Formats: sequence, C-alpha cells, structure tokens
Amino acid sequence: MKEITVALVGNPNVGKSALLNAISGSDIKVGNWPGVTVEKLEATFIYNDYKIRFIDLPGVYSLRNQTAEEKITIEFLLKERPDVILNVVDATNLRRNLYLTFQLLELEIPMVVALNIWDEAVEKGIIIDYEKMSKLLCCPVIPTSAKNKTGIDQLLEKIVETYENKKFVQCEHFESQIEEYLKKVINLVKEYNPVLLDIYPKRYLAISLLEGSFKDSISPDLEENIEKIRNEIKSLYKKDVKTFIVEERYGNVLSVYHQTVKKQQEDVVDSSITLDKIFLHKYVGLPIFLLLVWIVFEITFKVSSPYVEWLDKVLSVVSGWTLSVLNSVNANDVLKSFVSEGVLGGVGFVLTFIPVLFTLYVMIAILEGSGYIARAAFLMDRFFSSIGLSGKSFIPLLLGFGCNVPAVYATKTIENTREKILTTLMIPFMSCGARLTVFAFFVSVFFKNHGGLVIFSLYLIGILTAIIVALLLNKFHFKTQSEFFIMELPPYRLPTLRYILNNAWVRVKSFIVEAGKFIFAMSVLVWFLTNIPYGAKKDKTILAKVSQKVAVIFEPLGFGTWEATASLFSGFVAKEVVLSTMGNIYVGEKIEEETKELSFQEGVKEIVVGFVDANINLVKNFMAVFGFVKVESEEEFNKSLADSIRSAFTPASAYSFLVFLLLYTPCLATVFAIKQELNSYKWMFISIAINFSSAWIVSFIVYKILTFYNF
Amino acid sequence: MKTLKDVKPGHIGKVVDIKGCDDIKHKLYDLGIIPGVRVEVIQDAPFGGPIKVKVHDYCLALRRKEASCILVEEER
Repeated sequence: MKEITVALVGNPNVGKSALLNAISGSDIKVGNWPGVTVEKLEATFIYNDYKIRFIDLPGVYSLRNQTAEEKITIEFLLKERPDVILNVVDATNLRRNLYLTFQLLELEIPMVVALNIWDEAVEKGIIIDYEKMSKLLCCPVIPTSAKNKTGIDQLLEKIVETYENKKFVQCEHFESQIEEYLKKVINLVKEYNPVLLDIYPKRYLAISLLEGSFKDSISPDLEENIEKIRNEIKSLYKKDVKTFIVEERYGNVLSVYHQTVKKQQEDVVDSSITLDKIFLHKYVGLPIFLLLVWIVFEITFKVSSPYVEWLDKVLSVVSGWTLSVLNSVNANDVLKSFVSEGVLGGVGFVLTFIPVLFTLYVMIAILEGSGYIARAAFLMDRFFSSIGLSGKSFIPLLLGFGCNVPAVYATKTIENTREKILTTLMIPFMSCGARLTVFAFFVSVFFKNHGGLVIFSLYLIGILTAIIVALLLNKFHFKTQSEFFIMELPPYRLPTLRYILNNAWVRVKSFIVEAGKFIFAMSVLVWFLTNIPYGAKKDKTILAKVSQKVAVIFEPLGFGTWEATASLFSGFVAKEVVLSTMGNIYVGEKIEEETKELSFQEGVKEIVVGFVDANINLVKNFMAVFGFVKVESEEEFNKSLADSIRSAFTPASAYSFLVFLLLYTPCLATVFAIKQELNSYKWMFISIAINFSSAWIVSFIVYKILTFYNF
Repeated sequence: MKTLKDVKPGHIGKVVDIKGCDDIKHKLYDLGIIPGVRVEVIQDAPFGGPIKVKVHDYCLALRRKEASCILVEEER
C-alpha cells in the first residue's frame, strides 16, 4: 500500500479541523508540536489502495516565519516535504485566503485547493467558477463543505491523482519584470551558493532572498549582488521589495478573484455585523458576555457533577468486586489496602475529571466554532491589556475558580504563546472548589463570625498574587516581546454536533491516556509514602518522617509542625484529600469510604441505578442553573477533628495556613495539565516553583502582620 | 494626516500607508490591510478597548494603538 503524506494548510477559521473530521471521522490523534504549545492533529485514512496520512498544520495567514504557527508550518513544509498540500480556503473570504495560496504555490509542492464552506457561499449567492480558478492557479480546486460532507470523495480522488502525477507546474504569476529579477537571483545562487538550490524550492528561495527574509546564512558575494537588485527595484518602483512583493501577490489575488467570483449579494458579512451590533454593543455587550460566561461555568461544573458521583459509585462497585476476589484468595491486608486505596484511588481520581473535561470541551467547541470566543476577547481586552494579556485569558482564568484542570486545558483557545504561558501560570492562583472545602472547615473552626469575609479575602489574595506574578514575569522574563492585538472576528457559524462531540472525545481520550498514567503512578507512590511501614504508628510512616524534616521551613509561617506539613504533602495530590489526611493524622482515625463486598448482579444493578440517578440529578442541576430548584448541600463536620485543629493552630497560624494552601502548588492533575498543555517540563517546574515561593512569601507577610496585631 | 484611530464608526478610510509600527506592518499586510484598501470602522469596544473594522470581506479587531499606525484618507 502506498502512503501519501498530506499537509492541511490554511487560514485560521476556515474549517480545516472540521474537514479533517469529515474525512476521517474520529480516528484523530491530538498532541503538541515538539517543543511548542501549538496543537497537532493527525489522522490516517485508507482510500482505495492508498494510506493517506493527514497532518493538520496550525492556521496561518502567511508563511512569514514570525509567529510560532508560521514557523511550524513553513518548517514542516520545507523540511518534511509532504507529498501533497491540501490548501483549505474559505470560499466566502477569498480575497484574503488566496494570499496564502499564492505563497504556498511558491513552495513548489503539489497542491490541491479545497474551496471549503462552499455551502455558505452558495447560500450567500456567491458564484465561483472553480474550474477557471483551477486553471489560473495551476492546481486542482474542489468545492467542499465539511458541514454537509460534500466534495470529500472528489478531494481524495484529486489528492491521489496529484500524488501519482508528481508534476508540479509553477505559474509565473508576477509581473514579467519581477519574474526576470527572480531568475537573476536564481542565477546568482547558482554562481555563489549552489547548494541552497538542493535544499530549498527555487521560487521560495528567490523571493525570500530578494525580500531579505531568508534565515540561513549566505555568502557575502551573493548578498552584495542581491542588494544591488533590491536597490534597482527600489529606484524603479519607489518602494521596498518586501512591500512590493506583498502588493504583487495581492494583485494576483484580486486578478484571480475578479475573474472567477461573481457575487450576487452585496455584503457577505451582513448577518454577522448585525449580530455584533448586539453582542459587541458598547453597553449591552459586556453584560451579555458575563451572562454567557456564567452559563458556561455553571454548565461545566453542574452538568458534570452527577456523572462524577456516578463514576465514583462505579468505582466503589468495582473495588467491591475486587475486594471479593482478594478475599476469596485470602490476600493479606497490605495488598488489599494497596489495591483499593493506591490503585483504584488513582484510577478514580482520573475518572472524576472525565465528565468535567468532556463538558468543558463541548462548551469550548461551541464557543469557538460559533465565533464567540473572538468576541469575548474583543470585549475583555481593555482590562487584560494592562497586565500584558489579551481578552482571551478571561475564560480560562474564570474556569479556574471551578477547577484548575479544565481551566488549563481551556487555554487552548489562546494562540499567542507568551499569553498562553502567562495565563497558564496564573490559573493555579484561582482558588478552586476543592480548596473551598478546606477553607470552609477552617472558617467554621476559627472565624465563625466573619466566615464570608475570610473566604472572600482568600479569593482576593489569590487574584492579586496572580496579577503580581503576571506583572513581574512580563517585566523580567517576557520583556523582549512586543505585544499587539490584531485578531480576526470570524463570522458567526453554527458548529455541527458531530464536530463538537468528536472534538471533545478526542481531547478527553488524550487526557485519559497521558494524564492517566502520570496521576496513577503518583497515586501509587503516595500510597507507599503514607502506608509504609504498613501498620506502623501514624508518626512513623515515611510521610511523617519526611514531614518532620521539612516542617522547619514552615516555622516562620506559624505552622511548623509535622502534622500540618504532612497535610500539605497530601494536598499536593489533591486539595480535597487535605481534610481526610488531617483527620487521619490529628485524630488518628481514617475517614474512609466503606467498601463492601458485592455480588456481580448487585454491582451491575447499582451501576445502572446510579446512572439513572445521575441523569435525574443532571436535570435537577439544570433547573438549579436557572434558579428553579435549590440543590441541598450537606456539610458534615467532624467534631473531633475540629477540636484537635483548634488546639493545634492559632487564628493567625490558621489563616496563614489557608493562604499557603491557597497559593502553593495546585493538585497533581493541574500540574500535569500544565505540562501537557504547554508541552514542556520546564514550564511545569517553573509553575511549581512560582506557586511554592509566592505561597511562602505571602503567608509569611500575612502571618507577620497578623501576629503584629495580636491575632 | 488622519489615522484609522480617528475614523468614527460607520465611516470608511482608504489606507495610504502604515507608519511607526514596523513589527506589525507586515502582519497587517498579511491580513490584507495594504495601501489602497478601504477599511470601514464598524464598532468600538467599551472603555477604550479595541475597534472592529471591516476590510475586504471580513472583520478584524485591533487595538487603538495599532489603529493609530494606519494612515488613512477618510472617504465618508
């Protein structure tokens, strides 16, 4: 079977990923490009006797080699030399899209153009003579619609045909004078640096040498001669070569456009402009945005919570079964504890994120696919530009208040690498729901009368610290970057259900596979730390021994005890286990979920009933989102733990402890999400370091102030 | 000369040149904002945020800082 490598290239928002989805269904792998944070989609598709490997390159407006996306795209095309470029073009926005097409033609790689979003163009009365366009561009042009799955077969057929032809016809589309200059440049290269001709496509080489954008080093003689040509052009046309070539390309674009497109309707962005009159309205726009964001937030966490509970139940049934099996073979207690707490505990922790992430990805796909994310950025940009970010950071940061893990993955919608890193580093400071449970417990013990105020102050400290960290990083780390904000506002579109669900599933799958392994391993490790030597007293385990050594660094913060330290260790795994660890350490009784032995039928019944319950709760939660039903919350206080905590902390050290808990390294899943999303261990460790040091500093300041005023 | 920043919503400016922002000049070129092109200012964001413009067949958002680099001749 012959293998064909096809690179998908196109502007952002032209439906490249949707087209890939339409071609290959759900057989898509997501990952990151090596060393950068830009997403990589890949799919393989068998067509007749060919194995076609599609690589979805990031959306770019040009091949200028400036942004991370452009660098990836041009590097892939030049180094990997795909067999065919599938250039996806938005049929409703040809005047800009064809600009990239002309640049791609300069690479001398066989190309097929997909005139995507054809359905919308037809609807809008745009008539495109694609056969003529094919002649003008010297490559096949196929009308497609990812939404209606039309044109897919022709596209595959043309890809194979183009691959078999292997011929690339270079149109000389510039003005003849310029074409002469390009030939001159090629002759100069032949004379001085002939080896370049083996590495780079001729036309690309000539143009980038002439423009002065060529990155490799060239011989001084060649540079000198090219400079002469540049000056000639400059004096002839009264503008610099770079500008001249851009204008030449646009001249070609407009020529092709006017020869092939007949528009019957005057304005193609009309409906979007009308909608924007509401959504981007000076006064109404922001409230609508905040309302929508609140709905996203509520849906993400409320819709997923019944399924989290259900998965919890499934897990307890499974551990019940496992226990029965272990009991039947007379396994010893160590093994039973290891399997039920270490192994299944880790699996359970991964499972709890699946419903949250799936709902979040669905929400993001809707927001992104509909074109609203760009509007959100437009509305919020003013506020975020003051800390060197753009409006796009708002949604991820806000989601952080629910759970940091999906928040980190939500930074996917930020294309600018610097902004994405900054936002990701700010997310752990947003106090998540799990931390709130610990706050609530401490507040009930120490600050009963000012509970609301204390919790509010903690959220505020988190936000302020995040802003300070962002400002410092901007000043000292990212100082070389000049920031600007130019963003396309794509027309509003209805994303297809298939695209949304596929997208969400593909991403959740990648979380399960990658984060799953990591979290599972850590969970097993933590079990060893807390349980070995097995059956030993609580202050003799490995965890206790390590904590006794580490406790000294918390001395200046007011809680330098090994118990507090050990609780913080466990908080690194997940903030919600801090309380149960404290119960275990301070009171000496494990707050454990009882695992009962179950027969197979009973278990299956419980799983099914649980699933039905989850759906009922989903409806209930939905009503609650819109304020019809109040979801009852059960706060259970462990009285003996409260007593021990009261004697172990003072109000000042308790507050300092909470500040530390708020700011220090977020849970394991967040840490791994950061690694996965930023595609770098370096940033993962930097994030851990920033969180830990800022937690220490802020807690120290807070504790000193509080003790100074005798709290 | 006027810049795009001074063009009120609903009005059109014809791009004459891009000055003062060399780093974004070619970015604007890539997006189709080149001399001779007509740019219509559609809306502005609250609190002095970005502006929304229409160029060719599509819409762009840019900050006022960038808009002030685009020299225009006001047409309407």
